[in-house]
Amino acid sequence: MFFRDKLINEEEPKLKIGFLHFSSCSGCQVAFLDMFEEAVEILDTVELVYSNMLTRQREIPFLDVAFVEGALCLEDSHHIGLIKELAEKSKLIVAIGGCASFGGVRRLSCGNQLPQPQHQSFVPITEIELLKGKIKYAIPGCPPNPSLLYSFLLALLELNDDFLQPFEFMASSKDASGFDVIAEVVNKGFCVGCGTCATACPTRAISYNENCGKPTFNPSMCVHCGSCLAACPQSFKPYPQPVYS
Amino acid sequence: MLSLNERFLLGSYKKVFLAKSSGKNPIKVFFKLMLKKGLIDGILTCGEEEGRPVPSLFLKAEEVKISLLNRCFGVNTLLKRAVQKYRLSKLAVLAPSCMFDGLNKTQYFGIGCNWTKTAVALKVGLLCMGALTETAQIAEITHITGKRKRVKRVFFGSGALYYETDDGESVEVPPRVHHSYTLTACRYCLNMSAKGTDITFVPKENPEEGLFIVRSERGWYTLAQVQKLAPGELKLKAAPKEEVESIISCLREKTLLNINDILERIELGLPVPKWSDNKLRKFYRAWNSVEDTNLEEEVF
Repeated sequence: MFFRDKLINEEEPKLKIGFLHFSSCSGCQVAFLDMFEEAVEILDTVELVYSNMLTRQREIPFLDVAFVEGALCLEDSHHIGLIKELAEKSKLIVAIGGCASFGGVRRLSCGNQLPQPQHQSFVPITEIELLKGKIKYAIPGCPPNPSLLYSFLLALLELNDDFLQPFEFMASSKDASGFDVIAEVVNKGFCVGCGTCATACPTRAISYNENCGKPTFNPSMCVHCGSCLAACPQSFKPYPQPVYS
Repeated sequence: MLSLNERFLLGSYKKVFLAKSSGKNPIKVFFKLMLKKGLIDGILTCGEEEGRPVPSLFLKAEEVKISLLNRCFGVNTLLKRAVQKYRLSKLAVLAPSCMFDGLNKTQYFGIGCNWTKTAVALKVGLLCMGALTETAQIAEITHITGKRKRVKRVFFGSGALYYETDDGESVEVPPRVHHSYTLTACRYCLNMSAKGTDITFVPKENPEEGLFIVRSERGWYTLAQVQKLAPGELKLKAAPKEEVESIISCLREKTLLNINDILERIELGLPVPKWSDNKLRKFYRAWNSVEDTNLEEEVF
């Protein structure tokens, strides 16, 4: 793994992590807090050095792993500065949640709302060229489950490639809506009708149709969080796109 | 190179039992007893509503209704309700292997439903030769018998899959015909015997009988507990060798058809089901149970 040597520093055994907030509801940080007692188990190996919600630190220190939630608002100068700082001060970036990874609910925003009508355009951080080399993983969900964040953090500490690989795929994927489940799984004849996508969907945009034994999709309710395709048991092998070889 | 031997078709198991209960479906009795005695706190399976299978979550023993048809879909849609709403921590799941693919993935990665890893107490697989929708099943039975009938029950008899129709007739289902009516994804399945579960249940011709293929330590222990708590209600004896062989021959025929379809996809240059590629290495090998013996031990 490319960051193995970068991450392990014998003088400072604790991994310095930080949470950076862009345009989002902060639900991903709340999900991190929802780990409760499980989080305590990893606190001896991890040090939370920066978070706009959880620490008093004003200035962003150097981070081993930066967890980023939210999409970049192009009209917000604070966000632009934060992106530059992130590129400079972090060794590895993990995009958490639909907004940071795929655009999420921000894809549906056209801005022009009070109190900041100038905020109109939003881009997921995975699409920012400046961060391309550093964004290694994207975690789907709106918000991601605390159990997923916990397992992910453990896998990151243990450098568990088997676990991390799908999230590496997702960092370069744009398949995040129910349409992708239909196109990649149902239309290609892989859907077994297990209903995992429907249970994973946070907005009930995907429901299960008893008559055909397959999922049906309501696009008006989809927030592009990527949970459905990521949860589908048939999806990961050809993730992000199927391999025609 | 795949070898269609017992190990590949049926997977590894500790013992096969022939279960008998008086007047009831043995798997229903098994689950009811477990719920009554507190060994589990809920059952996630395909229940029955007006003769139609529907995904169901049962929390009380008296409510348990298990579908006798091979139309088990959408079981995982109730996962969040079971784990997050009712906070069940000793959940039993009865479903074919494909449902467990979704459940295993949710347990392994945590995507979809929170804290599922520790919520499942028992996984009981169903021997499944391919699931099909109600419409497809009516078309299939019409194809075989020449008459429009409704299927009441599915069971495995002497080396074949059988349907019991609403007029009480038992109809043998030729694998090739069944293959053409099943869901497309079922035509690529190589885990029809639900390898990787604790117990696989096989319904028999006599509605009061069924085979329990016990695979894991957890399955063995649970079955022993049920026997200890209610010895008279579920009678178990070692299944005759012929019973196992008849299931294997049935599976072999269907597996050959499935492999043929997979090869056809490769020939067409279409993406193939996950078993052919090991992009995710260990997890996929275990998941597909092609080489490994116990998915549970491998994955978790």
